[in-house]
Amino acid sequence: MSENRKALCEMADGLFADLRGADFAAAWPKLEEAGFGSLLVPEADGGFGGDWGDLAAIMRLAGMHALAAPLGEHIITTHVLSACGVEASGLVTIAPSQGAPVPWGRHADQIICAREGELHLVSGSAEHGESPVGEPRDSITYDWNAAKPLAYSADPIALIAFLRVCQTAGALDGALKLAIDYCSQRVQFGKPLSKFQAVQQSIALLAVEAAAVNCAAQGAADALDRGGPGHASELEIAAAKLRANIAIKTGSALAHQVHGAIGFTRDYPLHELTRRMMGWRSEGGNDTYWSQIIGMQAIGWGGAGLWHNLTQRTDS
Amino acid sequence: MQTFAVHPFKAPKNAAEIRSELRAFLAANQPNDDPVRRANCWTTFDPQFSKALGKAGYVGMLWPKEYGGHERSPLERYIVLEELLAAGAPVGAHWIADRQTGPLLLRYGTQEQREKYLPGMAAGETYACIGLSEPNSGSDLASVRTSARRTDDGWLINGQKVWTTGAHISHAMLALVRSEEGSERQQGLSQFLIDLDTPGVTVRPIMDMFGGQDFNEVFFEDVLIPHGALVGVQGEGWKQATAELALERSGPERYLSSHALLAELIDASGPDSPPEIAATIGRLVAEMWTLRQMSMSVAAKLASGEDPVVEAAVVKDLGNSFEQEMPLLVQAVVDADLADNTTLARLLSSLLQNSPSFSLRGGTREIIRGIIARGLGLR
Repeated sequence: MSENRKALCEMADGLFADLRGADFAAAWPKLEEAGFGSLLVPEADGGFGGDWGDLAAIMRLAGMHALAAPLGEHIITTHVLSACGVEASGLVTIAPSQGAPVPWGRHADQIICAREGELHLVSGSAEHGESPVGEPRDSITYDWNAAKPLAYSADPIALIAFLRVCQTAGALDGALKLAIDYCSQRVQFGKPLSKFQAVQQSIALLAVEAAAVNCAAQGAADALDRGGPGHASELEIAAAKLRANIAIKTGSALAHQVHGAIGFTRDYPLHELTRRMMGWRSEGGNDTYWSQIIGMQAIGWGGAGLWHNLTQRTDS
Repeated sequence: MQTFAVHPFKAPKNAAEIRSELRAFLAANQPNDDPVRRANCWTTFDPQFSKALGKAGYVGMLWPKEYGGHERSPLERYIVLEELLAAGAPVGAHWIADRQTGPLLLRYGTQEQREKYLPGMAAGETYACIGLSEPNSGSDLASVRTSARRTDDGWLINGQKVWTTGAHISHAMLALVRSEEGSERQQGLSQFLIDLDTPGVTVRPIMDMFGGQDFNEVFFEDVLIPHGALVGVQGEGWKQATAELALERSGPERYLSSHALLAELIDASGPDSPPEIAATIGRLVAEMWTLRQMSMSVAAKLASGEDPVVEAAVVKDLGNSFEQEMPLLVQAVVDADLADNTTLARLLSSLLQNSPSFSLRGGTREIIRGIIARGLGLR
């Protein structure tokens, strides 16, 4: 763990809370000014010198505060470009794959996209699209003639998946907090909703799902810190994203159910979390995508091999 | 809001070494019997295996050497448990003594009690069971009525325990009983370690719906036990009994006790398996991996001296749901007739029938979620 994580999180928590509800134009200059971009750049290269666990902690807070900006994408691309010794100015985001909608594509000066298994820094023109909550998810026509290959081994789908897992951990914790606060105040049948066992059981299950994603995010970050992006962390990121997708299904539904009609209104902040999660479930690999990959990997290893591989990865 | 603060599990330096030692031990000592005994293996009793395990130094691993223990670290022990469970080893006979009763004696027991029980427990030869539920006290444990009356000759126990796992093979029961006449609820309860060969004790196995015999009813009729059978402080039984629950609820048995089925499904599937089978395996591995992260986090917290009651309840709830869903998901995709004599079909049939008990024993799902709700400040 980076020694500075606590201070980093306190700063991020305060800033993201201030930026709640701010659009990209309002939020981005503040985020740039705060200097998050260099989080994963080594201190020797003028960066913060953080690790993937720090990124997980920051993105969890971004998810909790419904931050409407490509912060994680920016942190990862800055790290990749720095590692490759490539100078880039402005915002660089990531395409999960060539055909996939690109987060905040229209605002990006350049995009990191994989072609034939290799990362490239590439420009393009954006056709506007939106996620369920209204964030830019744009179709890009890439200008491959001017693309610059990057000597960095990573699967962009897995990188996006990792970010969404961490954001989901925060968004579910945020939804849990809203659910607890609301049910403790709302009185029906003469007592707060939180005193009804049926409601308690639902909120407990929401907490269980939030806990699962928090642990999955940490496990994926640990794998990234052990072996970096690429083969050494693919299984963990895959498992974490699949688990996050499952948790979104259960957790979002429970959060809405215990809120009743108020949670379905534009004024109440629950939808800022749940509508984002609805979109994240499809981004960075859906359930089928990752379950096939994990399943085929496990079949390749065999029953005993699965256990040997899982344990070997955490023993060192 | 963070209900589950993730605690880093720093694997001991010799983790890989411990695993290969264990795997060699299992290759030499794990009985090659009915594969069904590899499912739900922490309730599978095999005293011969327990003795071999004790001889090899894998029971009472944390306990002081003077009581037959091995003074190893909690995370070393965690790794040993993982290996035993992943292999489906029959660890049921000594499981409760090793997990709960031994540690409780080290925490609250007298010198005499430790000397009497711990060496046998560490040898895998002395087994214990936990007497909590009674015919009229299930989830509402604070309503227990079995009584202990102090006499000049010792404590006189009267009453009945039920659903006591392993009582039929155990030497002693750690019982929660009412030691103060007329007391109510959590007050006036004490813990006693009762030798089950004491006159007046009757153990009657209850056959479960699957035909298995792991739980029992235990009757106490004027059972006279020595004064020295009181464990800890008289009247503090509730606090002592609930303090051990984090140990009971978060261990690797919460997500690995059905591992034999997942491993068998993987082995029965090849590279050209239908996509829905690969997807089911993928999902089960993802959930198992996540639960492992969670259980390891709680283990690390326990090892650092914290008492993560809510986190432990979270692991139990999720682990139970996972292990109940596993046979159903497997059944939905594999082409296995449950009458088949294949290992896969037999494991599947066994776990379909055994899994309803997972969210009943050790605290029902409703009680566990109630504990989580209390941790969230809702009650």
